[in-house]
Amino acid sequence: MSVSSSIASRSGAQERMTARERRTRFWQMVQLVPIMAILVLLFGGALVLAILQSLGFAPWFGVNTFPDFSYFGALWGSSTFWVSLGLTLYYATVSTVIALILGILLALALVKTFPSKTFYKYLYKLPLMIPYTVGIALAVLMLSNGGMLSRLAAFFGMIDDPAQFPQILKTHYGWGIIAVYVWKQTPFITLAVYAVLLGIGRETEEAAAILGANRRTIFFRVTLPQILPGVVSSTLICFAFNVGAFEAPFILGGGFPDTLPVVAWRYFNDADYTLQLQGMATVVSIGLVAGVILFGYLAAYRRYERRMGRN
Amino acid sequence: MKHTATVASLLALFAAGAAQAQDAEAAQFRDGFLAGEIDWSAVEARAAEEGTVNLYYWGGSDLLNVWMDRVVTPALAERDVTLNPVRITGTKDAVDLVLAEKNSGKGVGQGSVDMIWLNGENFATLKRQDALFGSFARLLPNAENLEWNPDDPRALLNLRDFGVETGGAEVPWSGEQYVCAYNADRVAAEDVPSTFAELRGYLEANTGKFTYIKPPHYIGNTFVQEAIYAHNPDGNGAEPFQRSVEEIPAEELARLIAPGLDYLRDLEPLLLDAAGGTPRYPEDNAALDGLFLNGEVDFNCKFGLYAVATGLATGSYPEAATQFVFPEGNMIKNKNYLAIPANAPNPGAALVLADWMTSVEAQASKLQQTGMPAGIDGWTLEEAEAQSIVEASPGLVGVTQAELDANAAPDTNATLVDVIEATWLEYIERDSTDPIEAIVARAYDNLSK
Repeated sequence: MSVSSSIASRSGAQERMTARERRTRFWQMVQLVPIMAILVLLFGGALVLAILQSLGFAPWFGVNTFPDFSYFGALWGSSTFWVSLGLTLYYATVSTVIALILGILLALALVKTFPSKTFYKYLYKLPLMIPYTVGIALAVLMLSNGGMLSRLAAFFGMIDDPAQFPQILKTHYGWGIIAVYVWKQTPFITLAVYAVLLGIGRETEEAAAILGANRRTIFFRVTLPQILPGVVSSTLICFAFNVGAFEAPFILGGGFPDTLPVVAWRYFNDADYTLQLQGMATVVSIGLVAGVILFGYLAAYRRYERRMGRN
Repeated sequence: MKHTATVASLLALFAAGAAQAQDAEAAQFRDGFLAGEIDWSAVEARAAEEGTVNLYYWGGSDLLNVWMDRVVTPALAERDVTLNPVRITGTKDAVDLVLAEKNSGKGVGQGSVDMIWLNGENFATLKRQDALFGSFARLLPNAENLEWNPDDPRALLNLRDFGVETGGAEVPWSGEQYVCAYNADRVAAEDVPSTFAELRGYLEANTGKFTYIKPPHYIGNTFVQEAIYAHNPDGNGAEPFQRSVEEIPAEELARLIAPGLDYLRDLEPLLLDAAGGTPRYPEDNAALDGLFLNGEVDFNCKFGLYAVATGLATGSYPEAATQFVFPEGNMIKNKNYLAIPANAPNPGAALVLADWMTSVEAQASKLQQTGMPAGIDGWTLEEAEAQSIVEASPGLVGVTQAELDANAAPDTNATLVDVIEATWLEYIERDSTDPIEAIVARAYDNLSK
């Protein structure tokens, strides 16, 4: 009697547990609703619309040839698309790599103790608070042929005319674009790497030093593998931004051939509405390229983590 | 499964848009006004009831923005209407908004744009998409300040916008002419070119000291059109370019524009920064003004009859800037307009604004404060009124009105502008190796899609 009643009460308790679990799960779902609504409706909806339009569905411009792959065909079939893609990836990769190297050096310097460290810890974050457009304006004011540097050079008689100043902006080398990205993203990468460095402490590096490793070995064999999660996540964000960014290549770029986001903008901005579909095909192509590259990068990183025995 | 549902719901959304809804009462007002059954006092009463008017215009000129806030806003407040000036970076943004709202089913009384400042391709687009309020211009009380008689050749710019018939769906607001300025501190008066051949000669001696705004920006398009007029193989300038694409076969257009485009292609190595590989074409007026002010280029060509006078006043032009006649006989002249879209939320207030904007008072103060030439026609005004416009003018620098009139040319038909700009992009920017005939034929195909 007592046994059976205790079993009954236990099973009752179990049922109550699952009811509570269900409630918890329900609340979790409720908490997820706002972010899911934004992701699915705004981003997902925009993505679906972009893909539909790039495949010829735009009855509001009087165009409906869905499914029509000719927009992608025309885009991918022209050599200028591949030049633009190359330029886009070149600016994105070079600036991410430079920012990464500078960011790691800065983070490694910041973990050491030195006079007025607190001041420098605030100073390096300054570009994070300044918008990209302001950075671009600074580049125009300082580096352009009508900028401060060229005027000063003309004033001191180094050149006869500000126009003779060596051209930094508006070339296909993209020094202006890269300068703005590096200026803005170095602090971001520093922040991510510095946080990881603080978390792991310095014991392993000290142990390696005691065991006779030199500084180079310590960095590549001990420090770098430990800060890799910070490196990967921050470069991922910077690279994805650089591939899709519009303002810097538009204002500081060298004109035709443009980067892909600028190409897309030119299509959208044309008075001829049918070109918007070509623009959508460009946008979808940017998404595809960035998606494939980022997926490959993450997959390679996951494989590395597994090989290291981390999950 | 979930994706299919999303797509289906989106499709349903568009299907709903196809069924055009509209505010019945606003539609009744529109039909009554366009039929001439509603008198002006009733329009003014309705405008006061509506209370607001949303004017969308290019906000890149500080002088114009200040004029809107200091002059237009108080003038409309006297008529119990609040002006909501929406400053946009490109007129196409407003056109996009009108079309997007129209396609989501918003009719008259339900949209968000009451009036747009535009001309050329943007008007042609709205007209083609049937997104205009209707033929209102000649029904405004101030329509008498404009010449509407089709037998008078001077009425052409009121009746046609880039060769497209306005049909009274937009009212002229300002007139402009494409004028170039040079910096007299850098260029000797005898070296100033007056033809395209002389421009080339100047650039051979002073390589890199000139550029023009990049098409498809309309100011760049206009420079290309002038080069095409001047190199017209038949020697009749702008004349053949008044027809639309339907009236002129692709091969014929290709023949007419080829010499001009070849000239521009050959000019490329002499343009700004061409020594470094690719010539630099500025994106807009502000960028070109910066190059001119800084001495990077010696000439600045744009729509700006009074650009030098206002540029000197604001400091955006070099002190020695002077206007000159270039190219002889082909200085394109046009007007820009105010249009009311089909889904204007406050049609009454929009009509009151359009009427005020075409008044002598508004035109004179606009000319004086912003340097934008009058859009109304001086010969239709009484003597004192015409005199007030003349007195408001900031003045020409280095050219006379008679010279400008003698060298004026009409704009190119808007449908041909699309073809010419596509050809420029393909033939000059992308250095296509295809012959011009093939490029023009492709542009025709794209347009007919």
